[in-house]
Amino acid sequence: MTDSAGRQPTYADVNRDVIRTLEPPSPAYFGWMAVVALILTAGILAWTWQIYAGMGAAGKRTPQMWAMYITTFVFWIGIGHAGTLISAILYLFRARWRTSIYRGAEAMTVFAVLTAGLFPLIHAGRMWFAYWLLPYPNQRYLWPNFRSPLVWDVFAISTYLTISVVFFCVGLLPDIAAIRDASTGWRKKIYGMLSLGWEGTDRQWRHYRRAYGLFAALATPLVLSVHSVVSWDFAMALVPGWHSTLFAPFFVDGAIFSGFAMVLVLIIPMRHFWNLYAYITDKHLDAMGKLILVTSLVLSYFYLCEAFTAWYSGDHFERASLFWKATKSYAWAFWLQYFCNSLVPLVLFWRRARTHTPTLYVVSILVLIGMWFERFNIIVPGLGHDFYPYTWGIYWPTLTDTMIVIGSFAWFFILFLGFIKVMPSVSIVEVKETLPHPVKEAHH
Amino acid sequence: MKRRDFLKIVGSSAGAVAAAGCGQAPERILPYVIPPDNLIPGVASWYSSVCRECPAGCGVIARNREGRVVKLEGNPDHPVNQGALCIRGQAALQGLYNPDRLRGPMRQDASGALKPVKWEEAEKLLVERLTGLVKQGKGKRIVVMSQLESGNLGRLIESWAQALGARRPIFYEPFNYEAIHHASRLVFGRDAIPHYALEEANVILSFGADFLESWLSPVEHARAFTRMHAFKHGKAGTFIHVEPRLSLTAANADEWVRNAPGTEELLALAILKVILNEGLQAPGVDVALLRNVAMPVDLEAAAGQSGVSVETIKHIARTFAKAKPGIAVGGGVAVTSTVAVETQRAIHLLNYAAGNVGRTVRFGPDSAFVKATPHAIVGLLTQLMAQGEIDVLLLIHANPLFALPPKWGFAEALKKVPLLVSFSNQPDETTEQAHLILPDLHSLESWGDFSPREGVVGLMQPTMAPVFDSRAVGDVLLSVGRQVLGSPAGKGPFRWETFAEYLKEQWRGIAREYASSMLFDQFWEEALRRGGVWKDVATAPVQARSAPVFPIQGKPASVEGDPQGLTLLVYPSQRFYDGRGANKPWLQEAPDTMTQVTWDSWIEVPAEVAKKLGIRQGDLVKVTSPHGAIELPAYVSESLHPGAVAIPIGQGHTAYGRYAKDRGANPLTLLPGGAGLSFLSVKVTLTKTGGRRPLAIAQATHDQDDREIAQHVGLGAARELELRGAVPEKASHPSMYPDLKYPEYRWGMAVDLDACTGCQACVIACKAENNVPVVGKEQVAYGRDMHWLRLERWQEGKPEHPENLFLPMFCQHCEIAPCEPVCPVFAAYHTEEGLNAQIYNRCVGTRYCNNNCPYKVRRFNWWDYSSPASSSYAFPDPLPLQLNPDVTVRQLGVMEKCTMCVQRIVAGKDAARDEKRPVRDGEVQTACQQTCPTQAIAFGNLKDPSSRVAKLSRSPRGYHVLGELGTRPAVTYLKKVTREHGKA
Amino acid sequence: MAAGGVLGVFAHVDTTVRAIRDLRAQGFTDFTVYSPVPVEEIEAVLEENRPVSPVRLFTLIGGLTGIITGFGLTIWSALKWGLVTGGKPVVSIPPFVIIAFELGILLGGLSTLLAILVLGKLPALRRSPTYDPRFTVDRFGIAVTCGPERAPAAGRCLSQAGAEEVRQ
Repeated sequence: MTDSAGRQPTYADVNRDVIRTLEPPSPAYFGWMAVVALILTAGILAWTWQIYAGMGAAGKRTPQMWAMYITTFVFWIGIGHAGTLISAILYLFRARWRTSIYRGAEAMTVFAVLTAGLFPLIHAGRMWFAYWLLPYPNQRYLWPNFRSPLVWDVFAISTYLTISVVFFCVGLLPDIAAIRDASTGWRKKIYGMLSLGWEGTDRQWRHYRRAYGLFAALATPLVLSVHSVVSWDFAMALVPGWHSTLFAPFFVDGAIFSGFAMVLVLIIPMRHFWNLYAYITDKHLDAMGKLILVTSLVLSYFYLCEAFTAWYSGDHFERASLFWKATKSYAWAFWLQYFCNSLVPLVLFWRRARTHTPTLYVVSILVLIGMWFERFNIIVPGLGHDFYPYTWGIYWPTLTDTMIVIGSFAWFFILFLGFIKVMPSVSIVEVKETLPHPVKEAHH
Repeated sequence: MKRRDFLKIVGSSAGAVAAAGCGQAPERILPYVIPPDNLIPGVASWYSSVCRECPAGCGVIARNREGRVVKLEGNPDHPVNQGALCIRGQAALQGLYNPDRLRGPMRQDASGALKPVKWEEAEKLLVERLTGLVKQGKGKRIVVMSQLESGNLGRLIESWAQALGARRPIFYEPFNYEAIHHASRLVFGRDAIPHYALEEANVILSFGADFLESWLSPVEHARAFTRMHAFKHGKAGTFIHVEPRLSLTAANADEWVRNAPGTEELLALAILKVILNEGLQAPGVDVALLRNVAMPVDLEAAAGQSGVSVETIKHIARTFAKAKPGIAVGGGVAVTSTVAVETQRAIHLLNYAAGNVGRTVRFGPDSAFVKATPHAIVGLLTQLMAQGEIDVLLLIHANPLFALPPKWGFAEALKKVPLLVSFSNQPDETTEQAHLILPDLHSLESWGDFSPREGVVGLMQPTMAPVFDSRAVGDVLLSVGRQVLGSPAGKGPFRWETFAEYLKEQWRGIAREYASSMLFDQFWEEALRRGGVWKDVATAPVQARSAPVFPIQGKPASVEGDPQGLTLLVYPSQRFYDGRGANKPWLQEAPDTMTQVTWDSWIEVPAEVAKKLGIRQGDLVKVTSPHGAIELPAYVSESLHPGAVAIPIGQGHTAYGRYAKDRGANPLTLLPGGAGLSFLSVKVTLTKTGGRRPLAIAQATHDQDDREIAQHVGLGAARELELRGAVPEKASHPSMYPDLKYPEYRWGMAVDLDACTGCQACVIACKAENNVPVVGKEQVAYGRDMHWLRLERWQEGKPEHPENLFLPMFCQHCEIAPCEPVCPVFAAYHTEEGLNAQIYNRCVGTRYCNNNCPYKVRRFNWWDYSSPASSSYAFPDPLPLQLNPDVTVRQLGVMEKCTMCVQRIVAGKDAARDEKRPVRDGEVQTACQQTCPTQAIAFGNLKDPSSRVAKLSRSPRGYHVLGELGTRPAVTYLKKVTREHGKA
Repeated sequence: MAAGGVLGVFAHVDTTVRAIRDLRAQGFTDFTVYSPVPVEEIEAVLEENRPVSPVRLFTLIGGLTGIITGFGLTIWSALKWGLVTGGKPVVSIPPFVIIAFELGILLGGLSTLLAILVLGKLPALRRSPTYDPRFTVDRFGIAVTCGPERAPAAGRCLSQAGAEEVRQ
């Protein structure tokens, strides 16, 4: 790990550079905040209107009882996978390059899940009763139907959110302590409280290290389970194109794929604006690029399987559904998905592309678009041409649901922008760990 | 509906009953089944009456809950409809509770605007004017124009006119079938419309008669048709239909013969000629007369002009003549042309030749339609009015401004009439022009009787207190008459205080005729209970008159207009009849079965023509005839005769309330004026306007895409299956799980597609029974209609000549229901009686269930239809009075669907429990089953092997829709039986 | 200093390690080591003759509790009404496994968090007197707790090991 001058940063440099990112932000930052806040407001207004007028305000219909909301829900859940994956799985594999990006990724995870969590509410016809999905003793003596994939969602996602948040905060603890010691006045007080009085004593480190390992061990199966459960929302249904055992791994891979793309979309500007080249080096980008490439190839394989099984099953409904998706009203979305998810990432076979920031950035953006449309294609065209020809139909988005979907992005970014200014978005401790320890005499 | 609202309604209606007590003499209103004096809240009383939505005169029983009628059902005892009702009959309630119904009497003020007035004032006005005329002996300047009233109201109107020295009243019906009785007079010397006993024929040969939609008595005919046609014990009759357009009736034919418009007489005579040539005529017929008529026809020429091959003609002739007995009927557009009478004459002769007269075609119980005034007379009246000969015109439920072509000049003539009095209780085009409006009671609120044919007199009694401040037209006529003649009550020609008294007295005569032995009061009560009296009428023998021999036309009907143009077929609408149904939202939203179009009117354009003119579905087309022009969205049809275009009657109202407003154009605008009312008389030209008005079509496609949703089996194959015998009921896929246990009942249904004619009555019955909201054109167009039961039309074979299959689709109550396990809150679950329950209050609206429903029969409340505050409120006053108190009105954001009328099941079980016995088979009927004219739907307990539904479910023709999914539906469909000999 | 003791501040890992060894050799057992990052070498010395951290026990117990709760809740509530959906058995284990799994992870994680707080004696309201802000930057520290009579010895030992500064 070296900075532009090729000099290796010392422990002190790390503290300095990272804490520098928390300096009072520039007007440009506030400008961005304002824009995002504006979009968010529009989204909130749209949702208010929908609650008042009814689901009709969103463009749903028979047969598309689900549409953009669930699409975006799955999209955000997917994004929410990269963080925990990087911090947990790569931690277990002791991939040292993760240290300087995992904090940002984890923040992204937490905020993505917070965003995704809104959609089940937005989507419910009577969102004011959505809490009926939670198991709690009530005067109706009613309990949720644990056979319903939606209830599995409730458990999977709330668990995932909790664990991610805990993992995230535990990781932050020593860093907050560092900021505490570097800051003065009321900031010192606040960070002091947040640091829970961390001192970095040997006993603290000892249990901390152990616990951190265990968290990683717990988070790994969790991260895989969550998107599997989400995929079962579809796989458990009869709908042609949904009812497939392929879905769990298919969705998990897609999630990681889009998650990494989102990480790149976030850290590339960060390292640029805060001049963190010393910590987020081309080596990191290269590694991320490779991961995106691999997951893309796996995804393409799943696409092929999907198409093949639909054809090979000889099932009339499956075949009709696939054929319709590929050739009729929604064909454009169908092929856009393949272009973005299977074709574009292939450029990452070239090392230069993997380290050339603009290319990497464009690829990531396209991957995100592609992945959103992958979910769209499963849901909207999938439902549009199901078993019963009488009710076949085309879904048209309305201003309301479009605004809400866009608003969800604003919500995510407002959280993220807020975070990077109050918390270290690069882990001080773990970056230091990767540096050679300061020693007096070189060992012989 | 909120409980408070419900209580309000109960309160108000109860109040209405109390208020009505004085004027209404409630002790005379006898419930259908239980004594009157106990109005127990929660327990319905049934009052019998007659459906007046068309002159077929079906008997109805009205379900009265807490003083308000909430549902109409056919009167099971009534000989005409035997318990069934058609789509219009079911919707009659929305005439009673129509939000636009007139609240009270009105008069036109100086500015020409209509202002409410007091009844006394209104009557005084009329009395003054009439007295003036009568005193001056100018009674002839008074005319009453009424809808067909074949009962005592009609008699009263006649005697009233007589007493005032007014002209003979006019009983105006747009569809009066006058051609039939004219032809009868010419052929058999009997000016009558015979009784067509379809059920006794082995072959029906129909020349455009839409007897399943509007012709004469559709409910009766539908039942009769199924009796002769539906597959039973290996036998099934044959139905051949000749019409240029694939109407609903044509779609039910085994052979639909597409002829050139207006060539029906030609074909009939050609067929007759073949019969004679091959000596197939019945013994003892006057062959000389027949040869005389038929021989001049040249088969080749006839084939050429009609576009029907000689082979087909011969084939039809043989099938028909060999039927023994068959029956030939003529109606619809075909018999309103310039050769209408000739066509009916030819058809009569066909029946005569085949020896059907007296067997399936019976003079004897003649139809009441004969009482309807011929159009020529109406034309005469129009002239008199135009000449200023008429000073007072009284309209009783007649709307000539809509139902007559503008070319008749009725509107202009009306301007010459100083006083136009309308007794209509709905705003309509003619009433809008009235100087004085004295709203009559709705038929369900009034006393009266109606005799659809000899030997049947339906008795009407108030089934509830008047909704608004209206008065029975009979009462008004009596009191006005008394005042005009200055005769005190109890004396003179109008001595009766109320029409009810008049009616009862007239019925003493009927009592003598029908039950001379019985005491009158007893007879009267009995009649009120049964909804009328009926007896068999002996068939009168008729003989074809050989002389004078009537000149043969033998050529197609002459049509005016551009010879290059397309012949215009203006046909009666199954949903709106002559247009009087158009103000009922239920009917507007019920899709037209063939096109599945809702809420709009359209012009059916042959695909060939559309291709030539570059017209796509939904393009606005300007239709021009010599007499006028209208704009309509196009419906491109593969099956319509390339030389014709077709427009249904009924839409295009300008002043018939909010629901009928802006719904297409009135095709009568294109028709000529003059003496007759001919629906086939002009050729039109089409031009694209460039504009578009997409039609709200409920069905995405009529192509099943090989999914075998509606299945059929050949007649031969069906016979084989019958011999091979019954199959076990659940022939569905095996399940991983043990079969469910049903302690007492397992409710299920069976639908015989061979009996279903696609009439849509069930759709409206369901809407009425289950408080299903009406959502409007845009929502239907966007797949958000709320019908719990939808009637699907699937077609196979050549698009220009398809095999049509009708399939009522509703919740299949699957045993292994995909919708249930996915619901996170148990809103959908399986009851231990095999019902797929939907608990509205529990639903949070994830809509997962509908995604997972292969039949897509679940309906979601996209908008707030139930709360009055909402902009999409579906029940403007007084429609809430119709809501069934046993069924919730669903709120915003919940899923709903067919419940198999669970409220009726519960009621049935309660009744059974009181008598400590299980529910009997047939005791509980679902709304759709109850109203089905062809009894295509069976409901009952599948656990009881002897129940009708269980038997049908085991039928060898039985199958489950999408059965391969292993959902194990509780609804079994029976395959339609198709005839081998291919389409003509 | 109330308890009495000596604090040595180090700039390097190896010197710190050496100091720990020497202290041990001289019989000092009660001391706290501060470090900005967890360091393998230091841990290695300290972990000698110490039992394994009991954190994993917390995790295990938490996880098992979760799994049991999961099955308990689902089966009990399903039996409470016995509603049949989709013709499936009232107690359908496969879907319940998912709930049990998720709850297992959830409670496992939460109890692990609990472990950090309890065992790490967090939150601590005020800094310990021997704490120095540099310990979160780049300095290591060893705070020896001992009576005043042994303090000089400790101090000597620390400085000999190479402490930058030694405080009483």
